[in-house]
Amino acid sequence: MSVDAPASLYLDPQIRDWVLFPITLVMILVGVLRHYIVVLLQSPPKKLSRAGVREQRALLRSQILRATSSKSPIPPAHYKALSRHLSDAFKLGAYLKDGPPNGDAVSSATNALTDPATMDGMMAGMKTQLVMMVPQMIIMGWINFFFQGFVLIKLPFPLTFGFKSMLQRSIDAPDMDVRWVSSLSWYFLNLFGLNGLYRLFLGGDNSADSSRDMTMSPFASAGAAQLGQPQDFTKLFKAERDNLELSEGQYAWAGEELDVKVLRKYGKLLPRLD
Amino acid sequence: MSVHSALEELAKYRVQNRRASQEVFEKGTSVLQKNGHSKMGDEVWDFLEQLALAAIDVGRLDVADQCLRRLSDKFPQSPRVDCLAGIRLEASEPPETALKYYSELLEADPTNVAVWKRRISVLRRMGQTEEAISELSQYLDTFYTDIEGWLELADIYARCNQYDYSLQALSHTLLLAPQNPVYVLQSAETAYTAGDLPLSLKMFLMVVDMTDGDETEFLAESTPLGITVRAWYGVKLCARRMSENPRVVTASASDASPPKHLGLLDELATERLRVAYSSAGQKGDIAQGRGIVFSWVASP
Repeated sequence: MSVDAPASLYLDPQIRDWVLFPITLVMILVGVLRHYIVVLLQSPPKKLSRAGVREQRALLRSQILRATSSKSPIPPAHYKALSRHLSDAFKLGAYLKDGPPNGDAVSSATNALTDPATMDGMMAGMKTQLVMMVPQMIIMGWINFFFQGFVLIKLPFPLTFGFKSMLQRSIDAPDMDVRWVSSLSWYFLNLFGLNGLYRLFLGGDNSADSSRDMTMSPFASAGAAQLGQPQDFTKLFKAERDNLELSEGQYAWAGEELDVKVLRKYGKLLPRLD
Repeated sequence: MSVHSALEELAKYRVQNRRASQEVFEKGTSVLQKNGHSKMGDEVWDFLEQLALAAIDVGRLDVADQCLRRLSDKFPQSPRVDCLAGIRLEASEPPETALKYYSELLEADPTNVAVWKRRISVLRRMGQTEEAISELSQYLDTFYTDIEGWLELADIYARCNQYDYSLQALSHTLLLAPQNPVYVLQSAETAYTAGDLPLSLKMFLMVVDMTDGDETEFLAESTPLGITVRAWYGVKLCARRMSENPRVVTASASDASPPKHLGLLDELATERLRVAYSSAGQKGDIAQGRGIVFSWVASP
């Protein structure tokens, strides 16, 4: 039998009714269920003390100052005074949550394992990861057990032979077109495709999206938690000081040459010819 | 007015953050009487809060108490309802009681912004200006982006005639909202009152630059409107003072450079003001006060 004759198989419609739709339906429902479980499991965000809020927002102050530095609404003396004040405050650590460090105090909050706030963060991350993983394993096992050994659909796009082993796992037909695939591959298609559907129902930030779990390993959650809570503000403040210096160099007052500019605008002074 | 249209109006007020207490009170009580609030679903709580505030403003504390009771039944430990209860306290009790109430709430949750601000406003109302200033400064140190707070601080300083500090507070508002010409105008006038004339002149010119319209080709013939007129008044005032007293040209507390072409600026401001008061809508109508303005700008 020549390979280039397009093999056209006729599939039992019962396959469509009893396999295609149920798999999709089950995946949608499990996804929605996961989303709500994650929402329920999420503990409310921990309240920050006044000093904590202040520390968190301290960088914002200097960012606001720097945002308009090249066309700043405030005169040079004010800008420089603010810039210097912030720079000194950052150097001395006046904005740090626990107050300015004295002499030999080692920054203790950076060790993630000992800081209770970050522990909670990491635990929450692990919990959500677990919730994500378990349904996936269960569904995969279910599909492998029940829906094995037959062709489910024909993919509308062609694929290379390399995919045969993955997509036609249970079917031993070496000549069959790779486009005919088993139900496991339908599962994978749904896995990545239903994200759009979830975004429609559950909004953008939903926890039903399994494709994200594929890309993110469990170790990433530990890393993310590290970055999240114990941001080392001392280092951040130091970096911000450099930014402040840079912006001071770029500073220009919006009102500096305005007397000449307005006169030119209204035709009282001749426009420049350069 | 039907319940439906009243509710629409009230929702509009909420969105626009308008105070309009008398109207809100009348519409709100009519809705309550006609029992319209039972069909509103979740919006009824916003409506009750709005009505409570309006009732306190108008003086009808009984209505306010009704609303407050309904809200606290539904939301027992809510910080928002607690703040409303504090405002109700302020209306009838001596300010020390309210202050104590707010202090208790703040001890329980030091980051409650609304309660902190109420406490500061009570302190100001009681006349404890220094305490108010120090609390407000602390508040703004923590919550830097609250423009309302910076404006309040500038106001407190200005009332105490400390215009330099007021100007510093206003410079933070400028940083937070650099596109808003109203704050620039306020800074310019504060600088003028503080005696920093070069800075004031430049800031008035900033307002002019921001607000004088987009058609640059016809600017010389256009009529200044609204806030621009006020800015031109400012320019004229500064130019006049600076030409009378050359010492103030260089004595700037903020080291603003002295303006160039002072005479030309004076002329331009005069001309703009005359144009502003020459046209007043209908042809042939004379703008109010035109004669006075003309004679003022003409005098040396």
